[in-house]
Order: sequence, then structure tokens, then C-alpha cells
Amino acid sequence: MWRWRELLWILVCRNLKIRYKGSSLGFFWSLLSPVLLILIYAIFATILRFNEGRPHYLQFLVIGIAVWQFLAMCLNDSLYAVMGNVNLVKKTAFPRIILPLAMVCANVINFLLTWCVLLLYLLLVGMPMQYLYLLPVVLLVQATLCFGMALILSSSNVFLRDTEHMLGIGTLAWFFLSPIFYPVEMQLQFLPSKAAWLAFLNPMTGIAWCYRRLLMSSAMPDLQGVPVACLTTSLTVCLVVLVIGLFTFQHTQTKFGDVL
Amino acid sequence: MEAQDAIKVENVSKVYRLAGNSQSLKQKVLECLRRRTQPRMLKAIDDVSFTVKRGETLGIIGANGAGKSTLLSLLTKTIFPSEGVIETHGQVSSLLELGAGFHPDLSGRENVFLYGAIMGIPRQRMMQRFDAIVEFAGLKDFIDQPVKHYSSGMYVRLGFAVAVEVDPDILLIDEVLAVGDAAFHKKCIDKMREFRRQGKTMLIISHDLQTIQRISDRILFLDRGRMMGLGAPKTMIGEYEGLTRRRNTEIYQREWGTGEVMITCVVFHGGDGVERDTFGWGGDLFATVHYQAKHVIDAPVFGFSVSDNEGRVVHGSNTQVAGLVIPWIDGEGAVVLRLRELPMAAGLFLFSFSVHSADHRVNYHRLDNCFPVTITCSKNFEGYAYMPSEWSVLE
Repeated sequence: MWRWRELLWILVCRNLKIRYKGSSLGFFWSLLSPVLLILIYAIFATILRFNEGRPHYLQFLVIGIAVWQFLAMCLNDSLYAVMGNVNLVKKTAFPRIILPLAMVCANVINFLLTWCVLLLYLLLVGMPMQYLYLLPVVLLVQATLCFGMALILSSSNVFLRDTEHMLGIGTLAWFFLSPIFYPVEMQLQFLPSKAAWLAFLNPMTGIAWCYRRLLMSSAMPDLQGVPVACLTTSLTVCLVVLVIGLFTFQHTQTKFGDVL
Repeated sequence: MEAQDAIKVENVSKVYRLAGNSQSLKQKVLECLRRRTQPRMLKAIDDVSFTVKRGETLGIIGANGAGKSTLLSLLTKTIFPSEGVIETHGQVSSLLELGAGFHPDLSGRENVFLYGAIMGIPRQRMMQRFDAIVEFAGLKDFIDQPVKHYSSGMYVRLGFAVAVEVDPDILLIDEVLAVGDAAFHKKCIDKMREFRRQGKTMLIISHDLQTIQRISDRILFLDRGRMMGLGAPKTMIGEYEGLTRRRNTEIYQREWGTGEVMITCVVFHGGDGVERDTFGWGGDLFATVHYQAKHVIDAPVFGFSVSDNEGRVVHGSNTQVAGLVIPWIDGEGAVVLRLRELPMAAGLFLFSFSVHSADHRVNYHRLDNCFPVTITCSKNFEGYAYMPSEWSVLE
């Protein structure tokens, strides 16, 4: 795999370049969109008085949305990770897995730029961010999940074009099932405390919780009764998705050339 | 695989399920429920085996749909065989299409490095070769433009330049010679010659039979996925041309009749009795027409005609005209036709044979234009047939 690092890098650069191709601000959009995101949610939350009685709801929401967007963009882009490179797949030989990998890497870079803006904002509003150094670990776990999903979606979309349509609905459902604009406690109140881990079967629950915990810990009331087991559940699901993804991709990639 | 072999293809088949069924989930489910019969399959490559030695140049010829490109894709490993094994030894660079793998929005420069990376070549080495690539492609002023603005000639020039300059052990080229202008064509041929001298292995697909004959050591002749032959360029091209001509005449073929007598087989041979389908001008042609009669047929007449490759009759006659009386036939038998001193010009001629009643009312069996025969001729004249002619000046 090491042999292909240069191809990976070129494809990552290409993905980033193509994304902002033709726009005059180009790469600055990666920095500008989180700024606008924060602004819109600030206005929206103030007008609708969502943040009344909920301390730091805006920060809570912005982190959640940014984290969700990383996943959503990966899911969306993965539809075309293979399909958008028909030319390469049909005419040249290289490990196909580089295509979804490059797509996820490009999104990670984009996500890191978002974090630059986000961290600056959180710093300005005085979030403690004591455990900032653990952020890369959570990011890595989320990237693992994204890569696993990308492997599944990018290969299945080659054979089953319905993937595209199912994904839109699936992503929406997943969004509401994940504690993005509401805290995880809202889910936990429906579950007996012994079954709290069930909520964490959705890996985004654990991931979103971790991000917020790392960045807002002393400002946000500690989540009671979230033992390590819950986070382990989320982590395990991420790894399982990755394994399923690798397996699916490995078994279908030899047929890409026939179908495309 | 022996050490000197660069490519080994063993009993390789590639089967495609023909499209039109089971594209969507709904159709798949319905298909399962209905337990439809097996979908139609197409054998794009059917049990092909050959080896290419290191340093050898193999040409691949065949009509459209013969499986040439599929074979190259299999060797490139963008698709995989349904059956059989393919082994390649060394780095393979392929030009399956002009500028294959280029991204339209990237510049020429970026695409060069993209291609290098796809080939697994370190950036360092690509940098060293970059100038040579641009030079060869003749794109000095355009290399930083997005390739979508390139003309098709520029596109293929860059594609060829990169594929060649990455210095592969095996180069696969699919019909690249057909594009580009004469100057580039010559450049390509020169480059391929240089490749040969360096002992590289090449596989070339081309419809340009003259060029492929010059440049190949051996030629693989494919037809409808099957291997028709592998051997000396001249022989293989001759066979391919023969097949093409025969195919082109298929539209003129017709078989009809009551079937009371069937012409089971027609064998063409020379005076020596050896079967052949090529005859020289001025020589004799024999055709033995085997028949089978279902019951006793009185006074049958056997006829023949010769047409050119566009179906125009050159000559026709029958046993009645020739004065051969056949009182009756029953069961199997044969009649022999002899044409003396063939007068036809060089080319493909189509023979028709028929058997009918003496009064021409009943056609038992007719095979129109079903027997192609090649005539060779070194005489210089116009038209289908030679007429002995003399000129003199009136004094």
C-alpha cells in the first residue's frame, strides 16, 4: 500500500481542487462555510429562543452540526468515489480502495479546516477545552466510521443505483436518531439505565458525545451514567462497519470494470 | 511461467451478462419471483491461450467485436477473466484509449503526474521524464491548460507520450495509430521500433493492417472471441482478409428449394485432387457436388453460376446446356464440374449450385452465392474476366 501513497496524495489534491473548481474564493470556502454556519445558527437560535434555559446550546449545536456534516459529506461523496472515476477504473489498474480512501482523506482535510474556525470560536466564547489533545483520537474514530461507510456505499452504488436514493432518506433518519441538535440524555430517558449502551449502538451518539465532552466538559453538566462500556459500543460498531466495508469492497471491486 | 515469457494467457474466457435485464432492485426481485430462465450471456473472449515472449511484439487483429479490446483490458487487469489464468511479468503500461484516465479538469501537467502515480512511479522519476514527455507530445505551450480544452490529437499525443515515457516492460496499445496526424503516426512507429530494440514486450491492436504487419513479430487473429490463429503476420493478415471478404458476401447467400434432392457438400479442388479455395488465373477448377436424393428423381439438372463479390453474375450454366444427360438419381452421389482455364480477374467470386427438374419448374435445392472462391491473377486488365485481345494498327 505504501507504494501507492503518491497516487493517494494526488487524488486527495484532485478531489479538493475539483470541489472548488471555478469558484472565485476557492479554498477559502472551507474556512468561510463554518463561519457562516455559526452565524446562521446563532441568529436562528436567538430568534427562536432555543438557547433559553440551555447554557451553551449554540456551541453545543455548532459542534454537533460540524461533526455531522463531516459524516454527511463523506456519505454523499462516497456515492461517486468509484462512479465518478469511471475513466480511471475502466482504463487503468491500481488498488481501487484508494478512491474511497482519497475521498475520505480530502474530507478530513476539509474537516480540519472547519475545526480551525470552530476552535477559534470556542476559544473566543471561553470554552475550557481541557482535553483538546484527545480530539485527534475522536477524529480518527469518526474517520474510520466514514471510511467504512464509504467502502460500503461506493461499491454498492456501482451495482445498485438505488443506493443514491436510499442514502438521502437514510441520512435524514440517521440525523434525527443521532444526538446532534438534542443532547443524548433525551434518548437515555427512554431507556433503562442498564440499557443505555443501546443508544450508543449508533456510533454517532458516542462520537458526538466525545467531541462535546472534550471541548465543553466543565461548562456542560457531566453526563451521568455513561460508562466506558457505552463508548466501547460505539467504537466497536465503527470497527465492525470498517470490516464489513473492507470485505464488501474487496469482494466487489473485481467486477467494477464489468459493470461501469 | 518460463523465465523468458512476459505474458501468459491460459484458457481465458470472459463472459458478460447482456444488459437489459436486472438493472434495478425491483426488476431483480421480480426476476427472482418469476424464476426467469438464464439471462443471455455473451462470450467476449472464448478459451484463448497464448504466450508472449519477452521482447516480442504481438499484433492483434480482428473485426469489431472480436474481443481485442476486452483482451487488452484483461491484460491491464481492469477487468478479470471469468475462467482461466493470466500472468504478466513486469510493469504493464497500457493505452486502452486515447489519454485513458486523464481527468478533464486537471491540467496536462497534473494529468502526467496522475498517470505516473497510477503506474506506481515515484514522483522523482516522473520529474526527470517530464520534459521528455512534453517534448514528445509537442505540447510545450499547452501543458498547464486543462486537458478538456485539448484537441483530440493533443489528448492522444499526451496519452501516448506518458504511457511510453514511464518506461514499462510491457506496453499495451489499443488502436492509437488511427488517431493523430501523419507526423505523429510516424513518431509513434519510431518509438515502437525503439521499444522493440530495447527488448520491451508490446501488444498492439490496430486496423491498420500494413503497419501492424510491419511492426509485429507475430499476429494473433481473433474472431467473435475465439482465437482463429496465431502466427506469422503475413499469413494471419491473409486469413483475416479472407474472412472479412467472406463475411461481406454473406448477405448474398440464399438457400431454398423443395429438399427432394439436397446438395450436401461441395468440394473445390485442383486437377491434383487437393482441396483448396484459391485458384490461379488460367488454371483449372474442379468442384465435386455431393447430393442426396430422398427418392427417385428423373432427369435432374445440376447448375452452377459464378458471381463477383457484389452478387453480379459473371457466368452460369447447367448439365442440360452442357449436354450431360442424367437419367435418374436416388440416394447419395456426386457430380463433378470442371472449369477450364479460369478467365476471371483477381478477387473473390461466389459460386452458386443448384439442382432442379429438367423443365426448370421444380427447384429441389439451390445454394446461391454460398461458396466463396479466391482467384489470384497477375495479368493486367480491367473488369471481371479476361478476354484474349489483340491490337493492330490499320495500314
